[in-house]
Amino acid sequence: MPNNKSKPGPSRMSVYLYIPNIIGYIRILLNCYAFAICFSSKRLFAALYFLSFVCDAVDGWCARKFNQASTFGAVLDMVTDRISTACLLVILSQVYRPSLVFLSLLALDIASHWLQMYSSFLVGKASHKDVRDSSNWLFKLYYGNRMFMGYCCVACEVLYIALFLISSKHTENLMDVVVTTLKQGSPLSLLVAISLLGCSIKQVINIIQMKTAADACVLYDTEKKQKR
Amino acid sequence: MPNNKSKPRPSRMSVYLYIPNIIGYIRILLNCYAFAICFSSKRLFAALYFLSFVCDAVDGWCARKFKQASTFGAVLDMVTDRISTACLLVILSQVYRPSLVFLSLLALDIASHWLQMYSSFLVGKASHKDVKDSSNWLFKLYYGNRMFMGYCCVACEVLYIALFLISSKHTENLMDVVVTTLKQGSPLSLLVAISLLGCSIKQVINIIQMKTAADACVLYDTEKKQKR
Repeated sequence: MPNNKSKPGPSRMSVYLYIPNIIGYIRILLNCYAFAICFSSKRLFAALYFLSFVCDAVDGWCARKFNQASTFGAVLDMVTDRISTACLLVILSQVYRPSLVFLSLLALDIASHWLQMYSSFLVGKASHKDVRDSSNWLFKLYYGNRMFMGYCCVACEVLYIALFLISSKHTENLMDVVVTTLKQGSPLSLLVAISLLGCSIKQVINIIQMKTAADACVLYDTEKKQKR
Repeated sequence: MPNNKSKPRPSRMSVYLYIPNIIGYIRILLNCYAFAICFSSKRLFAALYFLSFVCDAVDGWCARKFKQASTFGAVLDMVTDRISTACLLVILSQVYRPSLVFLSLLALDIASHWLQMYSSFLVGKASHKDVKDSSNWLFKLYYGNRMFMGYCCVACEVLYIALFLISSKHTENLMDVVVTTLKQGSPLSLLVAISLLGCSIKQVINIIQMKTAADACVLYDTEKKQKR
C-alpha cells in the first residue's frame, strides 16, 4: 500500500540514528582522538586506528543484520575512510623525508577514488567495487577476488601504521628506515615486506582505475552526443 | 541521420586533446613542480600556484570559447583543485603548530566536497554550484552571489599561500604568527584579515553543505522506499 503522506521528519531522524551510522559516528570520534594524541602516544594511536578499522567491518555487518543499510551510511563510511587515510599520510609526511612520497600517495588516493566514484555515477554502477568490464589482468584479479582486494587495501593501512610506529624521531629518511627494517629478518621485516607488496599493487590499481574512470567520463560525453 | 557505427577511439583521443584539458595537464605539471620546490623556493612556489589558479580560469574560458566543455575536463579540474588544496594544507601542517588545525581543514575540505558531489549526483543537479533550495541565509548569499562565492574560495587560497610565505622557519605557532601579522598594520595585515574572514565563512559554508548533503542522501533513501 503506497504511503502518500511522506513523513520527512521522523524518517530523517531515524536514518541518522541507525545502528550502523551510530557506529560510524563512533569511528569518527575514535579517529579524532587518535590523531589528536598520535605523536604523544603512538601505540594508543595505532590501537585506536585499528579499532576504527574493526568498527568499519562491524557497521557493515550491522547494516545487513538489522536491515539498516543506507546511502548516508555508505557515504559516511567512504568519507571517514578517505579522511583517516589522508590524515595518516599527512603525519607520515611529517616524520619521513622526502615528504613528496606521502604527498604523492595522498594525491593518488584522492584522485583515484574521486575519479572512480564520479565515473561509477555516470555509468550507473551500484558501487565502485562492482567493476566487471576491464581487459586488464591485474584489474580482473583485483575486482574478481575479494580476498585479493582486501589484502591490498589492508596492506596499505598496515604499512602506514607500521611505518609510523617504527619512526623513532622526527624527519627520518624513508628509504633508510625501510631498508634497515627489511634487513633485520624479524617478523616485523616480513610484515613490512608483505604489506609493501600489497600497497604497491594497490597504487598500480589506483593508476589503472584513474585511466578507466577517465575513459568512462569521455565515453559518457560521446554517448550523450550520439543520442542527440 | 543517426550514426550507428560508433567510433570510440578517435572521439576518446580528441577529448583528451581538447585545449581546456591540455591546459588542465599543464596545471598538474605546474603543481607537481611547485610542490617539489616549495621549501627551497617559497616565492617561486607561490607564483606557480597562482599561475595554476589563472590556468583554472583560462581553461574554463577556453572550454566555452572553443565549445570543448567535457565531463572529463570538469572532473580533471575538480580533482586538481582538491589535490592542490590538500597538498597546500599538508605543507602548512608541517610549518605551523598545532598541525591539528590544518588536519581539520583538510578533513573538512574532503568531507564537504565529497558529500556535496555525492548528493548532487543523487539529486541530479548539474553542478554542485547550482544549489537553489535552501532556507539558510548564508547559504543563499553564498550560492546566489557568484562574487561572494568567488571571494570566499579565493580568500582560502590566498590565506594559505600568505601563511606559507610568512613562515620563516619550521614549526612556528600559528596563533602567534597570525596575531603578530595582524598587529603590524601593514597592507599584509589587511590582506590576511580579509582572507581570514573569507576563509572562515567558507568553512562555515562547508559545514552547512555537509548537513544539507547528508539530508539529501537520507531523502534519497526515503523516496526510494516510498516508490516501492
